[in-house]
Amino acid sequence: MAAEALGGLALGVLLAAPPFLPPYFLEILISVMLVGYLGAAWNILGGYAGQFSFGHAAYFGIGAYTSTLLFLRLGVSPWLGMLAGGVLAAAFGLAAGYLSFRYGLRGPYFSLVTLAFAEMLRVIAVNTKAVGSSLGLVIPNREPAPVNFIFAGKLPYYYVILVMALGAVWITRVVSRSKLGYSLLAIRENEDAAEASGVDALGMKLRAMAISAFLTALGGTFYAQYFAYIDPTITFGPSVSIQSLLQAIVGGAGTVLGPVIGAFVLTPVSELSRAAIRGRAGVDVMLYGLVLILVISFLPQGIMGWVRRRR
Amino acid sequence: MSLLEVDAVTKRFGGLTAVSRFSLTVGAGEIVGLIGPNGAGKTTVFHLLSGFQVPTEGTVRFKGVSVVGAKPHAICRRGLARTFQIVQPFVNLSALDNVMVGAFNRTDEVAAARRRAVEVLDFVGLGARRDVLARELTLPDRKRLEMARGLATQPELLLLDEVMSGLNPTEIEEIIGLIRRIHGQGVSLLIIEHVMRAIMALSQRIVVLHHGEKIAEGGPEAVARDPKVVGAYLGEQS
Repeated sequence: MAAEALGGLALGVLLAAPPFLPPYFLEILISVMLVGYLGAAWNILGGYAGQFSFGHAAYFGIGAYTSTLLFLRLGVSPWLGMLAGGVLAAAFGLAAGYLSFRYGLRGPYFSLVTLAFAEMLRVIAVNTKAVGSSLGLVIPNREPAPVNFIFAGKLPYYYVILVMALGAVWITRVVSRSKLGYSLLAIRENEDAAEASGVDALGMKLRAMAISAFLTALGGTFYAQYFAYIDPTITFGPSVSIQSLLQAIVGGAGTVLGPVIGAFVLTPVSELSRAAIRGRAGVDVMLYGLVLILVISFLPQGIMGWVRRRR
Repeated sequence: MSLLEVDAVTKRFGGLTAVSRFSLTVGAGEIVGLIGPNGAGKTTVFHLLSGFQVPTEGTVRFKGVSVVGAKPHAICRRGLARTFQIVQPFVNLSALDNVMVGAFNRTDEVAAARRRAVEVLDFVGLGARRDVLARELTLPDRKRLEMARGLATQPELLLLDEVMSGLNPTEIEEIIGLIRRIHGQGVSLLIIEHVMRAIMALSQRIVVLHHGEKIAEGGPEAVARDPKVVGAYLGEQS
């Protein structure tokens, strides 16, 4: 009950407070929601199924590039492009997943292959003129047009990413309470024992992959529309992949709320260390790294795992 | 037609022949014991039957259909479940969730799986511990959990791999009783066991494996008196 009341209160604040926030805090809140959303998408494959992808940037980039190219070249609304990107990313995820899982790649080998797929797409994007090569793509006309996912001011973007994050949490909750969710946890715990208990490990992992890739791609489109600029390093580079998995691991991999909680902890830490240590490039990243080391050493199950143990 | 028909199965790992031209049948309603000294190839036979390994030669038919090359989950779906010699619970899940994973073999509904899992946990005597994480269960309870998870898949044939090893005499008696009750529900069993007293009491027929080959088969008394079996366990006299 207390947890539900707390959740309701938090939701109320997230809905009502932002119009009164100064722009700087609104920006931070948007970035909290975006990385929380990406963490939630990663969590379905990485946290529940235990398949540690290091290459979710592949899906993020596919989402960002698909909607942006459709918009710039064909005038398709990014709202539709978003879905197209999601479908394309899910298809790419299924192909990459099938190749990896079919040949029995587990643990670190799977992680490395996913990293390689993302890097492959990055290199292709850098070397392809049609998608703007290393210069990337700019969405020029900033006339507000909600139908084209372009808004005046940051507030509407906040509400879009808030709804997306809530949606991702809701999907995670539905998955975690279904046969798919139980099967994924069993695969994470012990794939052989899961198979012996009738779990189609390959089929279940591919389903998790498709959902995870689809959702991550929607985040890519949001990024493109919000910043109005994408390039291969930002979208396909390792930074997005690492951000996605960090939120989930710090917050609690394989828990419904973990990734969002992780985002609420990590993003302020990153912002504060940047604000506290100005002028000495890199020191803030070291401080951020130190916090990560401490969290993972002392809370190996993440924040949610710690909360659960204390109950 | 027998439930399980294994015909002249051979498994080689490189130059090593783990199982050689091994044949076995298990009829519906039977309890068959599979015994042999350490390293005889008993667990390899289980791997071959449950799809974790593919025979180099020979055929395995379950309910009249070949299962050679089928994945473990597909074989489980057909009605053949197994336990592991070294118990492999999902350690971070509760006992109930462990067994629910097995129950999903026959249903897609969470509520139905939970009902089935609760039933099975009560049946094996773990009802009171259903919310305990598997990592916190004692070894005897983990053995029961392993059997419960297999049983929840609603098998027609259950393969038990040394479910009594590491247990004390009282616990062994309890497991013998449990196996009888599983059999009473119409499940056929193929049992690997080193606890002779238990295997003699339970099995209608015993198959003896030595160096990957079948050296004897028959009723418990006949097998126990067979000089080849005595030789395999105690060393040849010559």
